[in-house]
Amino acid sequence: MKTTKIYRYLSKIKGNKKFFAGAFTVAFIYFISIIGSFILPSEYYRTGSFEPALPPNTKNFMGTDCLGRDILAQLFRGIQNSYKIGFIAATLGTIIGATIGFISGYYGGFIDKVINVIVDVFLSVPSLLFLILIAALISGGVTVETMALIICITNWSWPARQVRAQAMSLKRREFVYLSKLSGMGSMEIIVKELMPHMFQWMGANFINAFLSAVLTEAGLSILGLGPQRDVTLGVMIYWALSYSAIFRGMWWWIFPPVVTLIIVFFSLYILHVGLDEIINPKSKKV
Amino acid sequence: MTTYARYLLGRAITLAFSVWIAISIVFIIPRLVPGNPMDAILMKMSQMGASVGAQELVEEYKKIFGLDKDLFTQYISFIKELLRGNLGYSIGSFPTTVAELISRSIPWTIGLLSVTTILSWIIGTILGALIGWKGEHTILSRLFSYFALLLYVIPYYIFAILLLFFFSYYLRQTLGFGFPSSGGFTPGIELKGFTLEYVLDIIWHSILPALSIILTSLGWWYLSMRSMMTTVKGEDYILMAEAKGLSEKTIMWKYAFRNAILPQTTGLAIALSRIVGGALLTEVIFAYPGMGWLLYNAIKSLDYPLIQGCVLLIILSVALANFIIDLVYPLIDPRIRYGEET
Repeated sequence: MKTTKIYRYLSKIKGNKKFFAGAFTVAFIYFISIIGSFILPSEYYRTGSFEPALPPNTKNFMGTDCLGRDILAQLFRGIQNSYKIGFIAATLGTIIGATIGFISGYYGGFIDKVINVIVDVFLSVPSLLFLILIAALISGGVTVETMALIICITNWSWPARQVRAQAMSLKRREFVYLSKLSGMGSMEIIVKELMPHMFQWMGANFINAFLSAVLTEAGLSILGLGPQRDVTLGVMIYWALSYSAIFRGMWWWIFPPVVTLIIVFFSLYILHVGLDEIINPKSKKV
Repeated sequence: MTTYARYLLGRAITLAFSVWIAISIVFIIPRLVPGNPMDAILMKMSQMGASVGAQELVEEYKKIFGLDKDLFTQYISFIKELLRGNLGYSIGSFPTTVAELISRSIPWTIGLLSVTTILSWIIGTILGALIGWKGEHTILSRLFSYFALLLYVIPYYIFAILLLFFFSYYLRQTLGFGFPSSGGFTPGIELKGFTLEYVLDIIWHSILPALSIILTSLGWWYLSMRSMMTTVKGEDYILMAEAKGLSEKTIMWKYAFRNAILPQTTGLAIALSRIVGGALLTEVIFAYPGMGWLLYNAIKSLDYPLIQGCVLLIILSVALANFIIDLVYPLIDPRIRYGEET
């Protein structure tokens, strides 16, 4: 019975062009960046490896920046780090948020009220602000990993709110009463009966959280709060802006990270819409 | 007590509670780092080579915020000073207070954001209404939708970078003139006072920052209005109006549009509530002298009290605006049942 369910799922995924196009582009960009960093030695993105401010040429396909770093090598490295931040922040945020939301919705009562108010605060305040406060405090010591953890501080609140609502409606369904009557323990009910209902939704949330983590990273980095000793797409934009690459006409410096970000955002968004259509066929977006 | 009064009380309690939590978080975060926050400030100041006034600053801080006392006393005096509107001194420009710096920047942000938010709302809503009325499957509708989707997905600051490159740098290279690349006005012009020339100069400088905000938020207004319009089109009262033989124009504007616009109004209210902290990065990219630019410079010079002040002010403005929306909304839309939710 289980296999038919999975099969039905696969056939639904197969029919969804948006899901495929999005997933393919996101994966393809990552794949290229991995291969690229194998080909280009890591010295290429160190300061002073080349002559500064070279336009694209046969050796540096995307030219070099004002500090003599190869742009293409930086871009490959930056894509990987931005994805890494997105992945860590989305995974942790979704898991933490889902757990908190589940506890709050399933058990209810006083804990639920307290959690609810805290989630309200986090949802109503633009999350970038709390992050600015924290990142400014440890500025200088921010690495790619701490950046991901900092983003986790606020991105758990949305999944928490969603999962809470789901848990509240799920616990009143008949199959939960039935499993209680059949003598299942509460832990067993949560793991065996309720969790499977959450997984689909958590998948869609993961993509969304990934997108917003990459976005937040770019925003924080442009403000000058990004990882200093490493490259991400946001950090590349920060450097290009602070060396006023635009007014020196160094399009080869500012455009690669900007265009890559736009492509990544767009394909993640399409992927998200596609996944949404697969999970709830009733809701159709643009 | 009437239902509305009870609802009001509930909202007020939520507001007070969330403001208190936000203030507490802002208070706690710098104290989570080991060491005295003042020592950190002193160290950063000496790193920057600015020793002038450092000692006075520390004394002043100690006196006002009781930094040598225990954490609870500090917390009480922090809230007390906050209620009096005292956000402390800026480290970067010492004798100036944080509140003064913020009050200089905030009109720029509110001016830019309120105009752009309303403009993009009007344009997006009307476009969405017109195209949504014609139906979802026309070529124009599809074309616009893809375009709107692209604009919606691109973050506004990425769009700002593109605008800056093409309309400021590239235009100047090719045609010899381009839009201003930075600042809110031509330096020196403000000395002549508040003249027409000054106003025009401000508008001229804000065109590109404004475009980056208008175009990126336009997509969302368009898409939501268009889908509302197609939903409304299927309602019975439209059919009824058609049966009565009313002209298409009347049906569209007086029947469909007026009903479809309600959710848009909520959206506008929410967007307006975020204007103080809404486009920090556009201001950074265009060096526009608002809150975002202030915050950016505070971060660059490690001016922690100023960062704290900006963040706190934006949080408070959002909380207050949300509260106002909650108050007004049941009056606008009677379908909202305020008694039952939360």
